[in-house]
Amino acid sequence: MKLSRLLRWPILLIVLAILLASTSGCVCGGTPRASSWTGLTLQDGRIYAADLQQVRVLGTDGELIQSIPQDPEDNTAGLIYIAPSVGEDYVIIAGQLAPRGFLAQATYPIVKLDLETGKELWRFEGARGQYIEGGAVADGLFVIGNSDKNVYALDMDTGDLAWQFETGHRVWATPLIVGDTVYIGSMDNHLYARRLSDGEELWKFAAPGGGAFASTPALQDGALYIGTFGNRVYAIDADDGTEIWRFPEEPGKNWFWGSPLIDGDAVYAVDVKGAVYKLDTGTGEEIWRGQLAPKNNDKDAPVRGGPALTEDGSTLLISSENGTLYALDVDDGSEMWTEEGEGKGYVTPVVNGDIVYQALIQGPYRIRALEITDDGDELWVYPLPEESETGE
Amino acid sequence: MFDFIAYPLANLILLLYAGLGSTVGAIAVLTLIINLAMLPLTLSQQRSARKMQELQPEMEKLKKKYGKDQERLSQETMKLYKGKGINPAGGCLPLLIQMPIWFGLINAIRYCIPSGPLETFQFSQHIGELIPSLALQIPVLVGLVPLQSTFLGMDLGQPPNMIQWWSYALPLLVGLTSWLQQKLLSPSTPSSSASSDGPPSQTELMTKQMQIMMPLMFMMFTLNYATGLSIYFIISSLIRIVQYYLIRNGRQEDADTKKRVAKKRT
Repeated sequence: MKLSRLLRWPILLIVLAILLASTSGCVCGGTPRASSWTGLTLQDGRIYAADLQQVRVLGTDGELIQSIPQDPEDNTAGLIYIAPSVGEDYVIIAGQLAPRGFLAQATYPIVKLDLETGKELWRFEGARGQYIEGGAVADGLFVIGNSDKNVYALDMDTGDLAWQFETGHRVWATPLIVGDTVYIGSMDNHLYARRLSDGEELWKFAAPGGGAFASTPALQDGALYIGTFGNRVYAIDADDGTEIWRFPEEPGKNWFWGSPLIDGDAVYAVDVKGAVYKLDTGTGEEIWRGQLAPKNNDKDAPVRGGPALTEDGSTLLISSENGTLYALDVDDGSEMWTEEGEGKGYVTPVVNGDIVYQALIQGPYRIRALEITDDGDELWVYPLPEESETGE
Repeated sequence: MFDFIAYPLANLILLLYAGLGSTVGAIAVLTLIINLAMLPLTLSQQRSARKMQELQPEMEKLKKKYGKDQERLSQETMKLYKGKGINPAGGCLPLLIQMPIWFGLINAIRYCIPSGPLETFQFSQHIGELIPSLALQIPVLVGLVPLQSTFLGMDLGQPPNMIQWWSYALPLLVGLTSWLQQKLLSPSTPSSSASSDGPPSQTELMTKQMQIMMPLMFMMFTLNYATGLSIYFIISSLIRIVQYYLIRNGRQEDADTKKRVAKKRT
């Protein structure tokens, strides 16, 4: 009997298993697969966007000004997804370095770099999980949540750990820092208020009936507004963490993942299936609700990020997962214009004057700029299709 | 690729979690349900193994007769199996059928205890839909994600790692229980008897390879995937081992009863 025949079944099983494993997204060493979305930061007329191992710095005309680090081979922080934190002379990035060697673990560095030279100023490698959203800077501290359940506060000058606290689950939200208070949500169904200076707990709010907090709260007049995976938007007293109102009273059907937007007496929130709500800030009462209409051949219009508002307060801008940017009238939620994009849009669009920037992944370009006043006319994309090296 | 299985499985895990309040408990009960659904197949696998065991004396004869001519021995063995209605590769069928379930389960665990936001967002569009085509949502499930991920200090949503070094015990347990299960359920072959001589037959080789390769393959899987999957494999193997002993004891009792009846008659 030939050996090949004898080994037929076991080999067939193993080959099949390996094939299936590879199609299921198994990571067996090497570069980790794309597991998050590109963060976008606009500061001082420049756009900072994570792009695999680098941060691209673009002018508002879409011209590439610089890449940090200059050489992607430097692999300073590995794959970067979070929105960079940018100061006058620095940029802070957090990423994921692939494991090296058998049974080795990935590392998750936070690196502060000189904005002009790209020189590394410090790095922190104390976290054991992925960074999903960016951090916040205030009073000489950089605060960021991690998938290892911890919130880390680092000294901005040295990168030393000032304090940390452990929540009951992964921390995927960017913190909000106001005065000496850090507000940060955790997937353990709690919103925490901690003292910035030493991390002491001030209060924590548990979503009634459950619901993870994965976004940054919006603050206005002493009230925090935040959505949960428990299908509600809450207004919470920022001083003591008591509930002011909840919407809807009975849990809804879909998560609110993106941060709500506050403008005067209105709270705007979008759920993950593209339902858009305008609520009263004082009572949580529904003023109107709309539903994003699927475009092209899409069956639906899922939305991960929150809404953005034009500077004149007249138009809501929402990016759907399928890449379409929607402009809605704030008065009644009616569609003013839409502009289909290539790739997937998971983050809240960024408005700068008459221009809106949309970050996309898994498409031919990473960022595109649209003219708000001209029915979303596309001004530029970065990179240009012929320059694009990756579709990640 | 296996999301058509993964979404219902993930929602089933959520439903079980809603009732039990424990992630491991939910995975354990899901394992039980899957194994119950697979029962007809595993029983046929065990029947086939038993038949092969019963053929042992005839196999031994064949081996003595054609031991030096492997080609002929294999032909005669196959003829014997065919005559008795046995498919020697029948043991692989339940494994092959289970494969899509494993891969669906890998994704289901990833959806319930997510380690990254993309998969979480993907699942947000299907959460609570136990039967996708019906588009019927069970609202109570929607707020449960992510499930509690810590079990004995391990993160059930992450693969074993050096930081939680004890998490490597799970793939080892997967290998051990799977080997034991394979050993018990595989048919005894002539070479296992002391009287046999000559080179091993095709069936013997295949059985031996399966006994080693399958546990190794399961171990490799569980080293690379969320530890929650290890829980499935361990409980699954234990269920089959218990099932094996229950069936064996049942057969033993039947045989004893038959003997007693025969004795009384004489």
